[in-house]
Amino acid sequence: MNTHYLKIALLASALLSSACASTATGKRQSSLMTSSATQQLKTQAPDGSLLAVVRYPAVVDSAAKDKFRQAYMASPIGARVSASATGSVEAENIVDSSIVKSNYFALSLYKELAARLPEHSVLLSPHEIKLGPDGKLTSVPITQAESLPSVVTVDFATYSYPDPKKMMNKNQLTFGDLISPMVTVRTDHRAAVPTHGVLLSSQPLTEAAVGNGYNTAQAALTEMQSGRFSTDVPELDFVSYISKGTRKSTRTASLSLNAPENVVQVTPMEKIRMDGATIASLGKGTKGVADPLKPVFSKGFADRIIDIINDTASEKTAMAKRATAISSYDPSLAALTFVGSDNSDYQARYNYVNRLLDAEKKYLSVQSLRLFDGVHNGEMGAQVRDMLKAEYAILEKRRALAKKQNQATALAFLGAIASGVAIGSQSSKEETQCDRYGRCRTVQRPNYGQQILTDVLVKASIYAGTQAFAYKGQSKAIGNNYLTSIVPALEAQTNVQVSLIDSNETITAIRFDDLKDKLKTLYVEKQRALDTIATRCAYNQDGAASGTWMGVCEGGLANGSGVGVLKNANGSAVEYYGHAQNGLAHGSGYMVVHEAAGSYALEGNFTSGKADGVMRVSKAGNGDQLRTYSAGQDNGSASSSSAVNSPFNTIRTGA
Amino acid sequence: MIRAGLITLALSLGFVSASAQDATPPMNVDDFMAIDGSVDNAKGVVQNPASLMNVDDFMAIDGSVDNAKNVVDYAVPSLGNDVPIAAAPIQETCITIMSGFPDNGHEPRYQFFKLTQALTADVDSTLRASLDFFGDSFVTPQTPVTEVIENIANPVFRQAAPEITIGNMGYLIDFALDCETYLSGQIESLEAYDSTLTDVEFNTIIAEDALFMRQILSDSLFRVGAQDHEIFGPSVHAYAGSLVTTRDKIEFSSFETELESLEALYLDDLDGRLARSNDVINSEMDREALANSLEITEDLNQDAKRKSKENMLRTLSRILGGR
Repeated sequence: MNTHYLKIALLASALLSSACASTATGKRQSSLMTSSATQQLKTQAPDGSLLAVVRYPAVVDSAAKDKFRQAYMASPIGARVSASATGSVEAENIVDSSIVKSNYFALSLYKELAARLPEHSVLLSPHEIKLGPDGKLTSVPITQAESLPSVVTVDFATYSYPDPKKMMNKNQLTFGDLISPMVTVRTDHRAAVPTHGVLLSSQPLTEAAVGNGYNTAQAALTEMQSGRFSTDVPELDFVSYISKGTRKSTRTASLSLNAPENVVQVTPMEKIRMDGATIASLGKGTKGVADPLKPVFSKGFADRIIDIINDTASEKTAMAKRATAISSYDPSLAALTFVGSDNSDYQARYNYVNRLLDAEKKYLSVQSLRLFDGVHNGEMGAQVRDMLKAEYAILEKRRALAKKQNQATALAFLGAIASGVAIGSQSSKEETQCDRYGRCRTVQRPNYGQQILTDVLVKASIYAGTQAFAYKGQSKAIGNNYLTSIVPALEAQTNVQVSLIDSNETITAIRFDDLKDKLKTLYVEKQRALDTIATRCAYNQDGAASGTWMGVCEGGLANGSGVGVLKNANGSAVEYYGHAQNGLAHGSGYMVVHEAAGSYALEGNFTSGKADGVMRVSKAGNGDQLRTYSAGQDNGSASSSSAVNSPFNTIRTGA
Repeated sequence: MIRAGLITLALSLGFVSASAQDATPPMNVDDFMAIDGSVDNAKGVVQNPASLMNVDDFMAIDGSVDNAKNVVDYAVPSLGNDVPIAAAPIQETCITIMSGFPDNGHEPRYQFFKLTQALTADVDSTLRASLDFFGDSFVTPQTPVTEVIENIANPVFRQAAPEITIGNMGYLIDFALDCETYLSGQIESLEAYDSTLTDVEFNTIIAEDALFMRQILSDSLFRVGAQDHEIFGPSVHAYAGSLVTTRDKIEFSSFETELESLEALYLDDLDGRLARSNDVINSEMDREALANSLEITEDLNQDAKRKSKENMLRTLSRILGGR
C-alpha cells in the first residue's frame, strides 16, 4: 500500500513538473551564446564598406496591416493556429506586438555590435512592411543604410505564436521575460554563392532566406544585363517566410565557430527566458542601461556575427554594392572598381570616391545613433520597458496560477486515484463472528473509516478539479485581458515609431541629398580626366547567348577589366568579374554560375572564356577546393599550396 | 589647385621682393653666433643648431629680451661631451645663406624655410649630379634667397635659358640638403614659437608652391634634353613621375580638408536636428494611453479572478449539495 502511494506521489510530482514546463518557461540562454572566449574583430572592412547592418521590421503600412496579420497567422511556427484564434483581436494584438518588440530588442543587438566594432561600421536599417506592386507582402528599408556595402546584414525579429489560448504552452513567445528571436545573417550572394549569400539562419526561416537570396541575385543579374548596377535590397527574410515567397533548399550545418564554407549554419527556434529581476527593475530612470537580452542572447549572437565577419570579409562581399554607390558619383569608374587597376588616374579617382563613401557612412551612422537614442532612450523605449514590466508581472501571476492549477490538477489526480484504489481494494473487510455456542462464520464488514476517507477523497477530487478548471479559466483571462486592453498603447507605440522614423528619415533624406550634391560638386571639381573609362559592350561565352559587359571595351567587345553577365535560354546564368579579351573571360577572373541544380563559383585564370589552371571552386556542402582545370574541364584536385590567379589579389588603390 | 599655388607664390614673391628692398641687410655670421652665445667660433661647433634664430625673431619669441643671452660666449665647449655635427665650412655657408632669407617676420621666414626644405623631395644623388651637369648660373652664398627663387620663377629664364633655372634650383637644393640640420632646427624653433604655423592649410599652400617650383625644374630638365641623357635620363623621368604622385597627395589633402569641413557642418547639423526631432516626438507622446491600458488590464484581471472564484464555488456547491 505504501509503495503504491509512493508511486502515485512520484507520478503526480512528474506531472506537476511537466505541467510547469509547458507554462511559460524558457531556456536560460540562447544556443547562439558561445562557450568560447569573446570574439575579437581580426579583419577590416573592404574599402567603402560597413561591417554590419541590423535590419528589423519597424512599422507596417496601414494598407498592408490586414494582409500582414493574415500571413502571420497562416504561417505559424511550431503548431497550427486554431480556426477560432485566427482573426481574433487578441491574436491580432500578438502579431502587432511582435513589431514593437522587434523594434526594441533589435536595438540590443545594434548596441552590442556598435560597442565592439569600429566607429561608423554598424548601421540600423528599419524596414516598413508593405504591399508590393504585385499586391504581395514585402518590406522595404526606410532609411538609406543599405545603400552602402556591408560585409554582413543581420535580420532580427521577435516571434510570438499567434494563438492566445496556447501562448503559455511550449510555443514560441515574446512576452515579459520571454523572447523568441528569429534571425538570419547574410552577405552578398557573390561571397557565398552556393547559399545565395545566407550564412546563418533560424531553422524555420532557412529556406525562405535562401529563396530570398536567390531572388535578389536574379534581380541583380537582370539589372546588370540591362547595363545598370542593381539597387535592389532584399526584403526581410521574416517577411519572405510569412508571405510564402520563394523557397530554396541548401546544405546546412549546426552552429559552430568553425563551420565549413558553403553551408548555412542553422539555429533552432528558442524561447529564451531573460532575467526576471532585470525586467522588473526596468524603469524610465534606467534609460535602457539595463539590457536583459544581452546576457542571454545579444552578446553571444554578436560573437557569432564577429566570427562570421572575420571569416567572410573580402572584396567579394562589397564589390557590387560599392560599384553601385560609386556609380552615383562616377559611372565611368564604377565598373572598373570590381577588380581595380594600377593606373594612377584610376587610383586617384578611386581614392577620392572611396573617401566620399566614408562621408556617407559617417552621415548614416549619425542617423542610426539618433534612431537608437530616440527609440531606446526616449519615451518609446520607456513605454516599452513599462510594457515589459507589466507583461512580466502578468506572466508571473499566470505562472503562479498555473502552478496552483497544476497542484490542483495533481490533487484531483491523486484524489481520484487514491479514492479509486481505496474503493477497489479496501471497500470492506472479512471478519469472523462467533456466537455464544462457539459457532463462527465469516462476514463482510463494511470499512466505515475507509468509506469516510473515500467520500472525502472523491469530493476533494471533484473540488480540486473544479478549482483547476477555475484557475485555468482565470489564467487564460489574464493573458487575454492584457492583449485586449493594451491595443491603444500598442497603436500609440507604432505611431510614435512611425513619427520617429519618418522624422529622422525626412530630415536625413533632405540633408543627405543636399550633402550628396555637395559631395558630387566637390568630386567633379577635383577630378582629372580618366584615360580608360568603363562603357557597355558585348560579353560572350562559347556557344552561349550574348551578354552584357560593363567595363573596358574595344570594338564593341569586352577587352580589359570589368563585369559581364549573360542569361541562357535554359535559365542558367553567368556572372563574371575580372579581365576579358575579345568579349570572352580571359586572364584572372571570378565566375559565378547559376544552374537549376544550384549555384557555384570558379576563381582563377580563364583562357578564351574557359577555366584554365588552378581554380578555387565553391560548391554547396563542400569547403572551397583547389582544382586544376584545362579548357573548362575539371582535371582533379590541385595541391593546397597552388597559387590561384585571383582578380582580387592585385592592390586596389596602390596606396 | 596648382594655379592657386602659383598665385600664392607670386604674391609671396612680390611681397618678399618688396619687403626685401626695405629690409635691413642680412645679418652676418657673427650676428648669428652672438645670438646663441654657445657657438665656438674657433672650431665652428654649434651646440644647439635648433636655436639658430634671427635676432628679431629671437626677441619676438621671448617677448622680453634676455640680455644675458645676448652676451656672446666664446667659451670653448668640452670636446669630450660634444660631437661636432657639421664641419666649419658648411656651417659658415649655411648660416650665410640662411641670413639671406626674408627677415620681415617669422611667418614669411618659416614659409621660405619650409619651401626650401620641400624642394629636396624625391631628389637623389643622380638627379643632384644632373643639376650640376645641366645647370648654369652664378649664385653665391651672399645672393639673397628671394633672388634665387625669382630666377627660378622667371618665365623668361624658363623659356629662353632653362639651364639658369636648373642652376638656381640646384643651388637651393644643395643648400637644403647640406644644411638640413640648420634648416630643420630653424623650422622646429619657429613652430615651437608659433604653433599656428603648423596649420594644415597654410602648409598645403607651401607644399603647392614647392611643387610648382619642382615642376619648373622638371620642365626645364626636359627642355634641355636631360631625359634622353644616358646616365641622367632615368633619374629625370623618375623625378617627373614623382611630381604626379606628390601632386595627387597635395590635391587629395586639400580635398580631404574641404570634405572634413563639409562633414563637420552636415553631421553637426543633422545630429542637432535629429536630437530636436526626437525631443519633440518624446514630449508629444501620451503616456496616459499606456498607463490606462495597464490599469484596465489589472481591473479586468481582478474581475476575471472574482468571476472565476464565484463559478468555482457555485460548481462546488452544486456537486456537494447535489443541486
